Amino acid sequence: MTATELSLLFLKTFTIIGFTVYAIFAAVIVRQEQLMANVLEESFEPVLRTLVIIHLLVALGLLVLAFILL
Amino acid sequence: MHMGPLTVFAVNPDGVKFETQESEEKVILFLRQHLIVFVPAVLILTLLLMAPPILFPLLLSALGNLPIQLPAGYALVGGIFWYLATFGFALVSFLRWFFNIYIVTNERVVDIDFKFLLYKEFSEAKLSKIQDLTYTSGGIIAAFFNYGDVKVETAGEVPNIEFGAVPRPDKVVQTISELMEESKK
Repeated sequence: MTATELSLLFLKTFTIIGFTVYAIFAAVIVRQEQLMANVLEESFEPVLRTLVIIHLLVALGLLVLAFILL
Repeated sequence: MHMGPLTVFAVNPDGVKFETQESEEKVILFLRQHLIVFVPAVLILTLLLMAPPILFPLLLSALGNLPIQLPAGYALVGGIFWYLATFGFALVSFLRWFFNIYIVTNERVVDIDFKFLLYKEFSEAKLSKIQDLTYTSGGIIAAFFNYGDVKVETAGEVPNIEFGAVPRPDKVVQTISELMEESKK
């Protein structure tokens, strides 16, 4: 394995670990939103729930994209 | 009073229910921090949104001098990640504000805080336990936008409650005082 290949492998590993951590963070936000929604009932809450779920799905999609493209 | 997503001050709000609310308990005042608290987050957000067209070309030109050539996929996933993280920052800032609530009912004062990560704080003080009410509104900006901190001091071991940066603090203190008088009758 050449130095360039090794560098790219290191970069890919680092990127995928970073995206995995971010996807976990996005999942934590979803759980946090659920917890807080139990504390307070409010009419706007379903919109927030949709947004945090979209955020999580895009984070997971990006992780898959990184596996494919990098 | 009708509630919207950016409601910061509502008297007798419609459709608001909170955990541990009793069947005969009525929400009199619903408060969030004044929208002015968003200013630092909005400034950071503006910088984050403006950075890619300015920062990315500089970064790529700097990387152009490196011995390795980055595959095109990195620019794509990097760009998507930047905007996703920016959206995440905006979302978390909004959630923290949205679920940081102060409620005054006909029986008690409630402070609900959204604390990262997976941690919530629920403080309450019965109106009968309140000993002292003070509010501070310091500075030009606070005076101009009419917001400030309300401190609810309680008797005994019940922790004090502080409403931070709430709109119309004078009205909040007045409302709680009136409810305390009514509860004594």
